[in-house]
Amino acid sequence: MLGYILRRLLMTIPTLFLVSLAVFALVRLIPGDPVSLMFGDGGTPEQIARGRAALGLDQPVFVQFWLWLKKVATGDFGNTITDGQAVLPLVLQRFQVSASVVLVSVAMAALIGVTIGVIAAWKQDSKLDVAIISLTTIILSVPTFWLGLLLLLLFGLKLGWLPVIGYVPISENPWQAMLFLLLPVATLTLHESGVVTRMARASAIEVLRLEYITHARAKGLSEARVLARHVLPNAFAPTWTLIGLILGNLLGGIAVLETVFTLPGLGRLLVDGVFARDYPVVQGCLLFTALLYVMVNLVVDLFYPLFDPRVSAE
Amino acid sequence: MTNLLKTRFRSCLLTTGLLATGAVAMSAMVQAQPAPGGGTLRTMINSDLRSTDPGVNRDLNSDAITMHMLEGLVAYRENLTVGPMLAQKVDLSADGTTYTFTLRDGVTFHNGKTLTSDDVLFAWKRYLDPATQWRCLSEFDGKGAAKVLDMQAPDPKTFVIKIERPSALFLGQLARIDCGGSAIYHRDSIGADGKWATPIGTGPYQWGEWRRGQSVELTRFPGYTSLEGKPDGLTGGKIAMAEKLRFIVIPESASAKAALYSGAIDVRPDFASRDLDEVKGRADIKTSTHPTMETNGILFQVNEPIVKDVRIRRAISMAINREELIDTVTFGLTKPVNSMVPLASPFSGPVQKAAWKRDIPGARKLLAEAGYKGEPIKMIVTKRFMSLFDGAVFVQSMAKEAGINIELEVLEWAAQLDLYSKGTYQSMFFSFSARLDAALSFEMITGPKAIQTRKVWNDPAAQALISEAMIVSDVAKRQALFDQLHMKFMDELPMIPLWNSVDIAAWRSNVTGYTTWAASMPRLWNVSIR
Amino acid sequence: MRRRINLLIGLPIVATLGALALTALVWTPYSPTATRIRGRLLPPNATHWLGTDEFGRDVLSRVMDGALVSFRVALATMLFAIIVGSLIGVVTGYLRGWTDRLIMMVNDAMLAFPGILLALAIMVILGPGQSSIVIALGLAYTPSVVRIVRGQVLSLREKEYIEASRMIGNSEVYTMARHILPNCIAPIAVLGTSMFGWAVLSESALSFLGLGVPPPAATWGNMLASARGYMETALWLSLAPGLCITLTLLGINLLGDALRDWLDPRMAAR
Repeated sequence: MLGYILRRLLMTIPTLFLVSLAVFALVRLIPGDPVSLMFGDGGTPEQIARGRAALGLDQPVFVQFWLWLKKVATGDFGNTITDGQAVLPLVLQRFQVSASVVLVSVAMAALIGVTIGVIAAWKQDSKLDVAIISLTTIILSVPTFWLGLLLLLLFGLKLGWLPVIGYVPISENPWQAMLFLLLPVATLTLHESGVVTRMARASAIEVLRLEYITHARAKGLSEARVLARHVLPNAFAPTWTLIGLILGNLLGGIAVLETVFTLPGLGRLLVDGVFARDYPVVQGCLLFTALLYVMVNLVVDLFYPLFDPRVSAE
Repeated sequence: MTNLLKTRFRSCLLTTGLLATGAVAMSAMVQAQPAPGGGTLRTMINSDLRSTDPGVNRDLNSDAITMHMLEGLVAYRENLTVGPMLAQKVDLSADGTTYTFTLRDGVTFHNGKTLTSDDVLFAWKRYLDPATQWRCLSEFDGKGAAKVLDMQAPDPKTFVIKIERPSALFLGQLARIDCGGSAIYHRDSIGADGKWATPIGTGPYQWGEWRRGQSVELTRFPGYTSLEGKPDGLTGGKIAMAEKLRFIVIPESASAKAALYSGAIDVRPDFASRDLDEVKGRADIKTSTHPTMETNGILFQVNEPIVKDVRIRRAISMAINREELIDTVTFGLTKPVNSMVPLASPFSGPVQKAAWKRDIPGARKLLAEAGYKGEPIKMIVTKRFMSLFDGAVFVQSMAKEAGINIELEVLEWAAQLDLYSKGTYQSMFFSFSARLDAALSFEMITGPKAIQTRKVWNDPAAQALISEAMIVSDVAKRQALFDQLHMKFMDELPMIPLWNSVDIAAWRSNVTGYTTWAASMPRLWNVSIR
Repeated sequence: MRRRINLLIGLPIVATLGALALTALVWTPYSPTATRIRGRLLPPNATHWLGTDEFGRDVLSRVMDGALVSFRVALATMLFAIIVGSLIGVVTGYLRGWTDRLIMMVNDAMLAFPGILLALAIMVILGPGQSSIVIALGLAYTPSVVRIVRGQVLSLREKEYIEASRMIGNSEVYTMARHILPNCIAPIAVLGTSMFGWAVLSESALSFLGLGVPPPAATWGNMLASARGYMETALWLSLAPGLCITLTLLGINLLGDALRDWLDPRMAAR
């Protein structure tokens, strides 16, 4: 097992190297430049050249890449161009915001989705099942950012129940934090439970058809026990993989939702970094996201056997 | 280089009753009338603070924040003339090369230390050190407005700057907002590592808390020594009415609007003109507008295909229904401007104001002469400035009626700015920040393209006229020069000026005292919140 | 039975929206880009069924034109990803060895980004435009096609009839084209359908961030983005494109389900 983990970890190194190379190249290809952005309509060529030199942007790209890579290897992601603060703590701090939204939503979606999915499977082809399937299909079709906007309009502006902008860290004031996080979490939960429900239903149906379930039923176990003991755990295994996928995708992909709700998360840090041409920030965000994605997948794979007795990690 | 700013400078001395010959010390200790209240006044910035290092790592948001904490020797007044701020008077030697600043009494820094000329010298030495990377260094090292030869602090109340040649632009450059107003800060603002740490200034508010990516909070400086009288631009009497100021980062204008409506912020500077109609009916929102000297228009790179033909540029200009366009884009807030000289400038005379009429047949005729057959003309625009984007959409639609095929290319701001600096585009909708003298307004578009790629008007004759306008001080002579420049400009049309921006702000009805002005920089002193 | 229902609901939705887009090719009630200064932000009425936007442009015309642009972009993106992805997938899966390992390393590196982020970065580099968005989204989706096709090929190439084809002296290319590709069609078709939906969604998300198809051309995404400032006063601006995206996704999802059930009988039994 340990050997397997080590092997998997080693395999991520070339991937991450390629990622960092790609990230660096991508970022430098973006037209525009942080220094001329700072000078606006009045920058003279000398001023811009001086500013670029101070940031080390006048060096050949390969030299810049090498210097950056060396620092990254020691855990130093450099400093932002806009305000000079260290990138890694910034990324981590913003990640907390994204993570709190994503983790809470995915956890809730998993709970709701797996439960409803198993129920739908159990009552397959009943009116309830059809209703659940129809509802999830519709929910899945609504773009999350549009849904977020509509919720914001209703609860923030029309009813005035919830704040329309801003954020308070949970550590600081849990109650306040909840008010700010309610809408984004609700939006995401709604959407993701749709995804999870469908997956859980499909896996549960597959499990329900297996012989040992029939066997369990024949043994005289109550339906509730069959569902709880046999169906739920087995239906959860593929769902677990899906949850991993959702997590990875969301952590990088909630930029749009963060824009809608003005949350200072990782996604917005990246988008703002792109607009400000803050190279170290963009590089840091992208590399961090990639790292996270790889790690989440690894963890999902490692835990998979725990949920599915039929598969072992080796 | 003796021109308008010199006159301004003189008038600043006159109005404060401080003539170079017989200066009268004036008490700066008087507390202005309204009593400071409590509360937190919440406003917004559309991107996070860059730094509080004045005029170094800054943008408009950073300027707006630092202006509440830091003050310079002189500052802009409401009418954009230059007035004294930390200096109680400024004396100019007869040969026009030595400026003697006499500091006000009893001014204290946020750390309780008293302001002395030694502090001024310290700050100025740092400004003029190339390592600081002060954005305005070139205006003081001989490349631009002046060359500083020597700085001295002969006694605690006196600071002397000697420059090489007389320069009428000198004090104006000192007050420039993007230069940080050449603010004077205490040396403890610099950390042990020699880098800028915390702003310790003399302003009505002091540094509070910065939650990166979220908000910046300033708190009232109880020991603030205000100038006498009413607030006047960035100078005059300042009272920190609200106990705290909070600048909340809201990048999206739609979110900012929602924030204002829902009461999450109290003041929204930089309110969109397109939203003015919608708040007219609301009792809880108040607004105010003021014309600025920012110039919006269409820039052409006259070497590029198609637009290199002046007839095409004229045809585009003739296709635009200016009255209707500007009335719509600015919601009737301002009139078209037909010249590089802003409407608010004293040099905007009958020649500059001569109306341009829409003339579709005329435009078609010019196009036919130029052999134009509907080839696409690319026009760059950004969505960052909504009125600019609106303007571009309407111009495209109007040009179509004359048979001109404009293709809009919407870029984000950094990408547009890159093209602007490199000068590689056919045409773009652009906004020039305020230049406070007509000569500078022309200067910003004129110059040798080979060296300064961003310039659009590559005409040595025009360049000569501008240089002359920077030297001549006689108003009538300058007007004649600007008239001449304007005619030449119209003839060659490297840019189609369309309108001057309007400073628009909206605030909730529990806020009192907020005003808009020609420099459109938000000022939150003397603003109270209930 | 469910397959029939999926088809019965999904097909008309997609067909209607498709017809809307095709109509826009030849006719819209008004020009989708013509501005009218005196007719801004009109609520839905007899002459403008869906009202007008902040430039006085007819929303119905823009929704129709937007359907055309959105569908064109989504279709092109899908084709791009599938063609490029299948080619790479078949080649790498068939050849194996170092080529495979190298290609898959790059592929995994690309998969290490959430698709929308990759697309976002590419968009900023290429600048706005319909072709850029096709390239950006297409590139972002290609790696997942590569992965699926390669997996399929790896499992197929050991099958007897493939061996047989090789034994009787057919060339590698012929074997690939004749026997392996056709077998990949089912999973690709399923993936392609959902990819079409993703592309519509991603285009609107990118436009929403200001990096999609540039205005004044209408797409549902940039209509939604510019409607955002008028949510409170002119909700119709946001409802029309939002509902269109939702309906498209709904139709595509249902069709996709039907297609999957039809192509994969094992799943159909469910």
